[in-house]
Amino acid sequence: MVAPSDPSLIASALSRAGHGPLPGEAAAIAALGWRRWVDEQLAMPVGDDASTSARLAALRLRLRHGAAPDGAWAAMDEMRPLDTLGQPIEALWPLMGGKMKMDAALRRRPREEAIAATIVRAVHSERQLREIMAGFWHDHFNVDFFQSDQLAVTLPVYDREAIRPQVLGNFRHMLEAVATSPAMLIYLSNRSSRAGAANENYARELFELHTLGRDAYLNDRYDRWRDVPGAAQGRPTGYIDQDVYEAARAFTGWTIEDGAGVDGKRKLGETGRFSYVEAWHDGYQKRVLATEFQPFAAPQADGHQVLDLVAAHPATARHLAGKLVHRFVGSRPEALVGQAAAEWGKAVAAPDQIARVVRLILLSPEFMAAKGARLRRPLALAAAFARATAIDLQPTEGLIGALAGAGQRLFGWPTPTGLPDDDGQFLGTQALRARWALLLGLAENWWGTGLAASPPTLRAAPPTARSAVIAWADPLGISDRPDIAQAVLDGLGWPADQPLGRPGAPDTERKLARIAALCAMAPAFQTA
Amino acid sequence: MTMLSRRDLLRLGLSGLALPGLGSLAFAAPGREPPALLVLLHLRGGCDGLNLISPANDPDFVAARATDLRVVEDGFALANGPAPGIDFRLHTAAPALAELYNAGHLAAIHAAGLAAGNRSHFVAIDMLERGIADTGALLRTNTGWLARSNRGRAAGEAASISIAGTPSGEFLGMGGALALPDLGGGALPPGGPQVAAVLANLYRLEAGPAPVVGAGRDALAALAAIDRRLPRDATGKVVPYTPEGKANYAAAGELARPLQVLAQLVKMEVGLSTATLDLGGWDTHEGQAGRFRNQVGKLSAGLGALWEDLARWQDRMVVVVTSEFGRRLRSNKSNGTDHGRGGVALLLGGRVAGGRIAGAWPGLATEQLDEHVDLAVANDYRHIMAEVLTAVDGRPPSSDVFPGLGAAGSLGLFRT
Repeated sequence: MVAPSDPSLIASALSRAGHGPLPGEAAAIAALGWRRWVDEQLAMPVGDDASTSARLAALRLRLRHGAAPDGAWAAMDEMRPLDTLGQPIEALWPLMGGKMKMDAALRRRPREEAIAATIVRAVHSERQLREIMAGFWHDHFNVDFFQSDQLAVTLPVYDREAIRPQVLGNFRHMLEAVATSPAMLIYLSNRSSRAGAANENYARELFELHTLGRDAYLNDRYDRWRDVPGAAQGRPTGYIDQDVYEAARAFTGWTIEDGAGVDGKRKLGETGRFSYVEAWHDGYQKRVLATEFQPFAAPQADGHQVLDLVAAHPATARHLAGKLVHRFVGSRPEALVGQAAAEWGKAVAAPDQIARVVRLILLSPEFMAAKGARLRRPLALAAAFARATAIDLQPTEGLIGALAGAGQRLFGWPTPTGLPDDDGQFLGTQALRARWALLLGLAENWWGTGLAASPPTLRAAPPTARSAVIAWADPLGISDRPDIAQAVLDGLGWPADQPLGRPGAPDTERKLARIAALCAMAPAFQTA
Repeated sequence: MTMLSRRDLLRLGLSGLALPGLGSLAFAAPGREPPALLVLLHLRGGCDGLNLISPANDPDFVAARATDLRVVEDGFALANGPAPGIDFRLHTAAPALAELYNAGHLAAIHAAGLAAGNRSHFVAIDMLERGIADTGALLRTNTGWLARSNRGRAAGEAASISIAGTPSGEFLGMGGALALPDLGGGALPPGGPQVAAVLANLYRLEAGPAPVVGAGRDALAALAAIDRRLPRDATGKVVPYTPEGKANYAAAGELARPLQVLAQLVKMEVGLSTATLDLGGWDTHEGQAGRFRNQVGKLSAGLGALWEDLARWQDRMVVVVTSEFGRRLRSNKSNGTDHGRGGVALLLGGRVAGGRIAGAWPGLATEQLDEHVDLAVANDYRHIMAEVLTAVDGRPPSSDVFPGLGAAGSLGLFRT
């Protein structure tokens, strides 16, 4: 087994369980022990630490739009606080309707503020593991908040109420929070599902993506539920199309208050809040996963029973264990996935079910040995670079666009699969070009995100190109690769041993930041 | 001897020479005939083939669906349908497709799809891209059918391109397939010659994560090759692309840019032999009528513009339009349709035997439906793709491209 006190291994671990080490952090944690860091992180509560809260409160994000053609509103260009983040859905919902006259930029403001907050937290939060888990669950329970303005206004509430409370908590609880969230009810169209011919969109992805997983889809059995192994004992090993159809019936009537008419006389309110409409529910008997549902159960009982069945299913344990292991380890070692799935099943009713599984993975030898096995996704790359180069990063529109260009449009993945964990998405020709630009743009402050601060050794004496590549190698975690330093020096075309300028002068710092970006473009910094 | 790339051969001054053992490789040396171009356009999300081309007068169809999810009498009548007595009509938002069909350049295959039933988007897409017939083979198959067909090795610095953020699954396992969503900002790495020099050094190093090193090398080589051919003005800025003739992409929505990137790459003669594009927005579980109309309009306008723009290439190209599955015969109460089976494939090209709906039509009576609910798959997409490959490459694909694909009668998709 590899000794987990090797700082280079800890640096990699901090780049997979977090967004990369701050300067000096890897050595400090190596001295204290990895287990202690993991347990401290797991013990941190839901919400933001004090310094991140203060930072978010002080943050201003630009709001800019033109005047209405009919004069209904004036042009606007100002720096505004992130006012929508703490608002309940009923406060944000009116933004998406046509009743209020305003520019589209204002309707989309909740989404943009949530994106900005996500970047701030990735770079600055002390609760790094919680941030990684929030990203994981947003991918898992993906909603494309760029699909419509209606979805755009629901992001702060989805992030705050459906995802974040349970990122290390209980899966069954999170499943229900997601199933009743305005965002998911709109995105997978369950809100318009009605008895008679139910909408199958949510039910199918519930099985295939959120719980049992596609490996448990027995596509060739269709409606022959007795042919599913284990069905006779009430424990089918997988699901069939009929389970999807029946579960869709179970969720009929789960909707949101979007003003829809229930009958000639009654209309739903317009708050965006979850609502159960009995009149739309298909109350007759159902069979899901070889379990008979009684006809005319209590309100929402059918849906709750489906969620109970899928959350407790062994295929769900296996599916989620595999995804979590992949996220942290970069591959799916069979033994570790098996252990994680067993822990998931054992803790299925525990309030800290997910934390227990994550702890098992992070303390495994497979995790510690997986240095370099994960490609950094664009947000992770940008955050790791900002942390290593001590950029006091402020999110801006330009940075958000640069992340999208490199393959990660935050909260904007179009299909319910979520941003893939495969590397291909980020290694395309144009994606790589954008990735290199992302590093250079951060270093050279193209988007007004803030200036890098060079390591103290480069401020003590006039730095040279050679001293710079050596000094940056440590915070970037590539000090074991002198060939990278040499390749950068050779390509720079600057005399290696002549001073770049007066220590600490803006022009010197600009050159040093460029050298940092060039070092970070090395293949080795693309993985963690 | 390891496989020589075209770049190696150019360096050696050997391009265009017949080399022993390399006879199967067709090089597109300057001045020689460029490779036949195969374009795959994926309609992501499961396009409702029955709403694109409706059996308008079939009483089973009329009974199963709301009027606004059917093409009715005002749709474009399509001659030469697959079933006598059934009036197949093309969606009213597709005038350009109707024109191409009537001119004999566009063919349709209805009731097309995967032979094995599958109603999951993501499994169905994987199976289509890997060219396999049953889900069990997914675990054993980690390459795409285009990768196995050797098309990508045909020629040029940029032989295989997905005009998207990531290479399409048909290229999986091939290496060297590019992913280029646009050419607007030019194609060089950012930051000028100094950054380019450092990147060249960094990605020449052997150590380091192999997938990143490989992708970086491919990207740097392709970007340089493409950038060399990008037209620039006096100040060095990339000149925006101008389509030829009457071609107008304005109504093609999000398909406009990728189609123009495709046309531009074809004209730049970078050796492009296979390209893939995507048009999403077909997963119409809810409020289908309006959304479907929009997407059909973009598809039709886009293909119409491409046809005009690439007028000089029409006889060398085939565009294949497919979707992972069709949708349920019966509509749901959200005014949408759920995942089904048989869908529509379209073929556009100068050699396509167009103006007809090819293949078999299984019918829509309950006992004719797949599992009594969906239009059955009567035309296996693998047979369609094999026939396409045979036509563009002049020989049938080797047996590993579509494993286990039995012999079948020709669908007659191409003029002989």
